[in-house]
Amino acid sequence: MSQLKKAKAAFDLINWNRFRFWFQMSCFVLLVYGGYLGLDLGKHLPTFSCIYNTEARGGACYLSILQHQMAWPWQKLFSVAALTILTGFLTFAAWFIAINKLWCGLICPLGTVQDWMTALRRRLGVRYGRYTLGQFRVLAQIKYILLALMFLIPLGIGAGWFHKDWGLPFCMICPARMIIPAFDLNFTNWVVDFSTTPKMILSSLGIVVVGLFFVGIFIKKRFFCFFCPMSAFLYLISKPALLTLKKDGDKCTRCGDCYTVCDMDIREIADEVKNPRIMMDDCTLCLKCVAACPEPGALKANYAGITFFEATEAGFIKRSQKGIGLEQPKR
Amino acid sequence: MNSPNAKTVALPYNRSRQAREAETMLDHLTDDFDDNPAAMAYFYDLFRRAYCKGESLEREGVRVGTTCIHAPEELIYAMGATPVRLCNGSYHYDQVGADFMPAKSCSLVKATLGMLSSENVIPKVGKLDLIVNPTTCDQKKKASAMMAGMGHQVYDLELPPAKESEQARVYWQRSVREFAQQLRSLTGKKLTRKNLMAAMARTGRAQAAFRTLHNFRRKSPSVVLGKDVFLITNAYFFDDIERWTEAVEKLNAELVQRDKDGFCAAQKKAPRILFTGSPPIFPNLKLPLLVEQSGGVVVADETCSANRMLYDMTAVDEWLVNDMVDSLADKYLKPCTCPIFTNNDDRIRRLLELAKSFAVDGVVYQAFAGCQVYEMEQRSVAEALNKEGIAMLYIETDYSPDDMGQLTTRIEAFLESLKSRKRKRA
Amino acid sequence: MNYFAGLDIGSTAIKVALVGEDGKIVGVHVSSSGSLFHKNAKEALQNLLTKLGVDKDDVRYLIATGYGRKLFKEADDSISEITANAIGAFEAGKAFGGVRTIINIGGQDSKAIQIDDTGNVSNFAMNDKCAAGTGRFLDVAARTLDIDLEELGDYHFNGKGAPLTINSTCTVFAESEIIGLLANGHGKEEIIAGIHYSIAKRTVRLAKRVGIEDRVYFDGGPALNKGLVAAIQDELGRELVVPEYPQTTTAFGAAMLARSEFMAEQGLEKA
Repeated sequence: MSQLKKAKAAFDLINWNRFRFWFQMSCFVLLVYGGYLGLDLGKHLPTFSCIYNTEARGGACYLSILQHQMAWPWQKLFSVAALTILTGFLTFAAWFIAINKLWCGLICPLGTVQDWMTALRRRLGVRYGRYTLGQFRVLAQIKYILLALMFLIPLGIGAGWFHKDWGLPFCMICPARMIIPAFDLNFTNWVVDFSTTPKMILSSLGIVVVGLFFVGIFIKKRFFCFFCPMSAFLYLISKPALLTLKKDGDKCTRCGDCYTVCDMDIREIADEVKNPRIMMDDCTLCLKCVAACPEPGALKANYAGITFFEATEAGFIKRSQKGIGLEQPKR
Repeated sequence: MNSPNAKTVALPYNRSRQAREAETMLDHLTDDFDDNPAAMAYFYDLFRRAYCKGESLEREGVRVGTTCIHAPEELIYAMGATPVRLCNGSYHYDQVGADFMPAKSCSLVKATLGMLSSENVIPKVGKLDLIVNPTTCDQKKKASAMMAGMGHQVYDLELPPAKESEQARVYWQRSVREFAQQLRSLTGKKLTRKNLMAAMARTGRAQAAFRTLHNFRRKSPSVVLGKDVFLITNAYFFDDIERWTEAVEKLNAELVQRDKDGFCAAQKKAPRILFTGSPPIFPNLKLPLLVEQSGGVVVADETCSANRMLYDMTAVDEWLVNDMVDSLADKYLKPCTCPIFTNNDDRIRRLLELAKSFAVDGVVYQAFAGCQVYEMEQRSVAEALNKEGIAMLYIETDYSPDDMGQLTTRIEAFLESLKSRKRKRA
Repeated sequence: MNYFAGLDIGSTAIKVALVGEDGKIVGVHVSSSGSLFHKNAKEALQNLLTKLGVDKDDVRYLIATGYGRKLFKEADDSISEITANAIGAFEAGKAFGGVRTIINIGGQDSKAIQIDDTGNVSNFAMNDKCAAGTGRFLDVAARTLDIDLEELGDYHFNGKGAPLTINSTCTVFAESEIIGLLANGHGKEEIIAGIHYSIAKRTVRLAKRVGIEDRVYFDGGPALNKGLVAAIQDELGRELVVPEYPQTTTAFGAAMLARSEFMAEQGLEKA
């Protein structure tokens, strides 16, 4: 036990950003190139490991199969066959519940790509942009609309209201469809599909979104995550998740350090002092806030009730001095 | 002053009223207590030299006076200038200020303006190139024009009246950026990533040292007395930051040893006091001194001459100038528990947390007569504390020493009641 | 025989109380403070002992309290007058069925104290700095009106008209206000009643700050003034418990504490 405690104390001192960088890098390799290593985690992953990355992927994003299933003709959808959907969903949920939105902050390949772009921008000395609170409130709604459409359009196809070429509507406009396969030098999706009108519209929209993605990510950290329907979906089912972000409001001085470093501009992380469950819908559980918090125990990352990473004064000072590039002088 | 007929009698500085005021306080701080930490000698000596002997603390380069904790010192240091906190605790200057200030204004503002209107001021920090006056309370706001009238160059750093809204945050960030611009035109230096990082590292190190000291005060029985900690944080107002940090680190090292040796700075049963409200500023350490002379020990504080000034540290996400400046702005606004802000639940939460984590027996709340915001907030703070079973003593006072007798009675009675309360619980 | 003494060295008067082992008052003494606190306090103690015929060595424990407590080095211990007052009132109040709130008006300060059911101070408030609403205020008023302090009470009840309103809270300003009222032909009686109500209002505000509970005990020199008692009762809306010797409650409290300290020490020695 004391061994475990020691390990945790050491982990609390970790240079979180560096740790996270290498962790993300490893996950990226596994998910984007895992196929070449014989890795297959199935098609129900709660993260944007794109299914269009056909050969190289080490597992696929659940949204693709979900949209596909939603577009089943209604007779099939409302029959015993739907059990397949249920088991699929349960697999997806199981993956998710294990580590909550850590899928977003530490694993999602599209998130990692965004972080790399952010790092590039930072190297160039360009500062990031921020939404005003008003914009933020509006933009934060878009992901729910996308999530709803992602269900409704395929259901409409199954009902026969829409042409089947409207299938996989979200995948068609998801930037991962073009960006992730590109890492395997697969550019087949970087074209407008002129075969049918719906396909043309969707694929053109997809290109526009990718364009916006590249512009946006140069201005705003984690630009796409604000709109991500997966993020919305995961938040909706996050209640039973084993990994949780907890805040002890009594210990918080509202200094705003966590808010300052938050890629998602989540104000509540600094200002909410009553609700201990602090994971807001946009949260990606990158846990940068925990690393940036100087108040011992004010922010904690728990797994099944056991704290594995928490804010400590020593950790904060160590990390901030590292950031400045000046270590504490030795005495 | 310059008229040829006027002859000033050269009174030796150390016989002046203000020097003797400082000396009396220092004598009490050192002589009324046994076993002061050896490392405190640096601070005792610093104050004796600066206040009693009138030695110069003049610095090279541009000097920027600040009238509140809200002026980001990192920006001032980054541009090669030196900040000096002007908030004054001298009864002598309080009297000087009373000559031209309304009778009901608070001692701190009166003393600060009294000092600024005088010649040969103590501590001798040299001619100020600029005074940054954050627009905090009404009295400080109006002091701005008065200071300008005395011939000082004053910059109003605009602080929002509320701190919780996002507008306030954005407004303040803009204020701080403009302040950086102002400093640039004053110093002719550009704010760069490098010089700001260096400045933040220096302040960060000082804060880390303060936090270590702060944490020692959790120990029971205490290893260090509150009067010493207030003196240390008061030195931060004008001392060289690096020298200050080293002195605090040295003290911390001594406290580690004291703790190992099982040393007690106060009696085991000494009531543990949390100090809040108007700031004790040297030489007006009247109240903390009385508490500790009467057998209590001040184990924590929530004042802008100590904890509020040094506790909260800055986190930065991207070490680019803009991001650093915004992060600094956040640090100087968001965690501030000054009662000037419309809504100040944070102060109550902070007090409750300090009371809990420092095993506090009672709270002493000082309000300078005339400081309306502290006076008004007293009620809600007392209610919140009493609800948690923590007794609070509210004291309205000023810099004059003439209520010492009455205050002693009240403080002793308070400590006696805390003791009997404690006995009853045990 | 063992005796225990409480010495309350106040700003205007020095009060001594002596209690026996049974906790009963043996005797009290009040004399003026003058400017030589220490000397006068010693004399006051000696006077009482002589009067009672008690040998100095039989006083086993002495606790000093009041403004000048620190100067009296002969004391075994010292305690703040608030705590002493609380103990004294708690003990004395038992005869009245117990008290929880104490109002004390002294020479230069006024206090309100709340005690719990064991006699411990749970809250207290004190006037800030200025002498308004204290014994000094009455002093000044009596002098201005050219009557004896002891007569104030009689004048209070002899007024024909309603008590006048004294607006000034400051002792110095009140003095000139009183002169103004006299000049306007108002009677001393109405003015005095007005002064009493003015003090009563301030005192009751102080008491409300600590919270008024149960029976209210009123002590200190001015409690001898029946007019003031009536005015406070009026403002408070309830009866006051006024002890026989209101001036010496605090000294009595100190003596009672001296007694229990001595007992505790004895107990320790025996054990």
